[in-house]
Amino acid sequence: MKILVPVKRVVDYNVKIRVKADGSGVELTNIKMSMNPFDEIAVEEALRLKEAGKATEVVAVSIGPVKTDETIRTALAMGADRGIWVKTEEAGIEPLTVAKLLKAIVASEGPSLVILGKQAIDDDCNQTGQMLAALLGWPQATFASKVVVGDGTVDVTREIDGGLQTLRLALPAVLTTDLRLNEPRYASLPNIMKAKKKPIEEKSAAELGVDLAPRLEILATTEPAGRTGGIKVASAAELVGHLKQAGVL
Amino acid sequence: MDPINRVLGSLPAELIVTDPDVVARYLTDFRHFRTGAARAVLRPRSTAEVQAIVALCAEHRVPLVPQGGNTSYCAAATPSTDGGELVLSLERLNAVRAIDAANLSLTAEAGCVLSVLQDAADDAGLMLPLDLGSRQSCQLGGALSTNAGGISVLKYGMARDLVLGLEAVLPDGQLLNVLQPLRKNNTGYDVKQVLLGAEGTLGIITAASLKLARKPAQTVTAFLAIDDIAALTTLLARAQTLTGENITSFEYVSHHSLSLLLAAQPGLRHPLETAGPHYVLMEAQSCSPLLGLEEAMAAFLEEAMGEGWVSDGTLANGGQQRDQLWYLREHIPEAEVANGGSLKHDVSVPTSALPAFITRASALVEEQGAGGRLSIYGHVGDGNVHFNVVAPLGAEPAVYKPWFEREVSPRLYDLAVAMGGSFGAEYGIGTVKLDLLDRYGDKAKLSVMRALKAALDPANLMNPGKVVRN
Repeated sequence: MKILVPVKRVVDYNVKIRVKADGSGVELTNIKMSMNPFDEIAVEEALRLKEAGKATEVVAVSIGPVKTDETIRTALAMGADRGIWVKTEEAGIEPLTVAKLLKAIVASEGPSLVILGKQAIDDDCNQTGQMLAALLGWPQATFASKVVVGDGTVDVTREIDGGLQTLRLALPAVLTTDLRLNEPRYASLPNIMKAKKKPIEEKSAAELGVDLAPRLEILATTEPAGRTGGIKVASAAELVGHLKQAGVL
Repeated sequence: MDPINRVLGSLPAELIVTDPDVVARYLTDFRHFRTGAARAVLRPRSTAEVQAIVALCAEHRVPLVPQGGNTSYCAAATPSTDGGELVLSLERLNAVRAIDAANLSLTAEAGCVLSVLQDAADDAGLMLPLDLGSRQSCQLGGALSTNAGGISVLKYGMARDLVLGLEAVLPDGQLLNVLQPLRKNNTGYDVKQVLLGAEGTLGIITAASLKLARKPAQTVTAFLAIDDIAALTTLLARAQTLTGENITSFEYVSHHSLSLLLAAQPGLRHPLETAGPHYVLMEAQSCSPLLGLEEAMAAFLEEAMGEGWVSDGTLANGGQQRDQLWYLREHIPEAEVANGGSLKHDVSVPTSALPAFITRASALVEEQGAGGRLSIYGHVGDGNVHFNVVAPLGAEPAVYKPWFEREVSPRLYDLAVAMGGSFGAEYGIGTVKLDLLDRYGDKAKLSVMRALKAALDPANLMNPGKVVRN
C-alpha cells in the first residue's frame, strides 16, 4: 500500500505574524518557514504505518514556489521515501486548486491512503482534505486521533463533542490528522543526510491540467485590534454597574 | 520616632506597601536560602521618586535593598533579618523610553521584565540579545546589577557588554546620567562599569541603554550526542568556523541532567534514538536571509559525524521542535527541584579547559565517595559549567547538601581555580558566596572593592552585607 502525504510550507509556528504595510497580506519576506505542524503529524502517521508493515511506500507532495523543496526534504529526513514538488510561481494556492492538483497526482500515483493535516496554521482553511475526498469520490475521515489499518479498511477514531467516534472506511480513503494522533519524530542526523539523496520529482500545474488562477479575492488583511487597558473598580456595585453598561449583564 | 518611620512618614502613601502578606513576597529569595524582614516595600514610579527615597534614606541612615524580579541565585536582593532595612522594588519603573532602530539601541527603565524588552525590540524589527532562563520574571535592573550571562553570551557577550549607557541614583541621592546610547565615549573613567555587576551596593540602576542586534532571518537548532567529552572544544571551534562565527548558543547537557528531567516529567521524550553520555544543544543564527546557514550546518554535522565527534543527533524541523529542545535545556533546574534540589557550583574555566574540568571534577566527586547524582550542564562557549549535585536516592537532601558543601565543594572550587578558573561565573556573590570571595578573591582586588564601597557609600546604606562584608 502506498501513502501520499501532502505537506504545506507555512510561516514557522514561532514567528510573530505581521500584516504587510499595504494590507495586501501577511509579510513573508525573510520569514522563517517550516512544515505545517498538522502535516508533520500526517507524515509521522504514514511512517508508523510503514514501520508496522501496513504500507510499503510514503510519498510526500508539496505545492509552492522556490524553497518548497526544503519542506519536502524535511518529510524525507523524517523517513518518507520520495517527494513530488508541484512548482508554482506564487505561494498561497487556494484549497480547491490544491485539491485538484492532488487529485491529478493521486491519479498517477495510485495511493490507497492520502493523509493530510486537518488544516494549515497559516490560513486555517480546513478544506483541502474534504475537497480532495469529494473530487475523488473517496470516503473521508477528518480530525483523526487514532488510525488502525485493517484488511482493505481503515478504522479512524475522531474526538467529537461528548466522546469518541470510530468510523470504518473502505480503502482507498482520505484522512486528516488532529493534534493528538501522534507526536512527530525528530529526524536523526543519518536520516537527514540520507534524505539529500532521495529523489524529488518536479511537476508543473500545466502538466497536471490544473489552472492556478485564484477564485477568491482578498479584500483586506488587518491585525487584530490591540487590547485596551483595564480599570480598577472600588466596589462590587461599581463592577456590576460597568458590566450592565457594557451590556453583558 | 525611629528612622524608618521618619522615612515612611515623609513619602507619599502610594509608594509604600506595609501589608505583611504583600511585603512577604519580597522577603524570601528565589532559592529559599534566606528570609529577611522589612517593615515596608517602597515602590517608586519614576527616577525622581527613587532619588527622593535615596536622599531621605541617606538623611535618616536607613539602608535600602533594591529588588527587581527577585530571581537572584545568591540572595542578593533579600533584606537582612534584623528588620532595619527597607526593600526598594523597581517594578513600577517599567517604561521603554526609546528605541532607535538605526542606532541599534533601546533605552528602558530598570523594572522592565526582560521578555517585555525582548518583545519591544522584536516589534521594532530588531532583537535584544540578552536572554536567560528567567526572562519572564527577571528585570533589567537586576540583570545588569548581576551582569547576567545566559544563553547568548557566546555571540553577544554578558549583560555588561550590551550596555551603552546608564542612569542610576548614587547613594548620596545624586543622579548619574550617562544614559546616551553611545558606542564610543572615552571621557574619563567609565563610571557605569562600576555599577554593572555591583548587585546594588554602589547605587541603584534606574534605566539603561542597551545594544540591539538585527533579528535572525535564519535559525538552525541541533541536538547532538557526544561520546568523548574532549571533542567539545573541537566541535565548537569547527561549528564557529563553518558557520562564519554565527553560533549563538552552544550548551552542554550531561546525560544525568537529561535523565533527571525525563524521569521528573514523563510527558517528555528523548530527542535521539541512542543515548550518549553527553549532549550539546547548539544554535546558529544569521540575520541574513541569503547566507547558506543550513548548508554550513549540514556540512559541519557531516564532518562531525564523519570524524566521530558526534555519535547521533537531530536538527529541529521548525519552531515547535526547537521549543521542545530548548525546553529540555531550560527545565533541568526544575528536575533538580523535583529531586530535592541541587547544590550548585557555578564555575568557569578557560573554554579550552572545560571538558577536562568536567571530567576531573566528576572523578573527584567519585573519589570522595560522595554518591551524589551529578547534574552538569552549562555554556561551553563561555567556559561556564553548572556543576550541580543532587542528593543520591534514599538520602535526605537537607542533610546531604550541607555535608557535600562542607566536605566536597571546596575541592571542586580549588580544582576550578587551579585550572585557571573562577568559583563564580554568572550568579554573582550576594550573601551566599562571601566566604568564597574571601577565600579566592585577589587581595588587591578586594581592597579596591572596599575602597570603592567606602568612597561611594560611606554610610553603607546600599544593599549592605552583599558583595562587600559589613
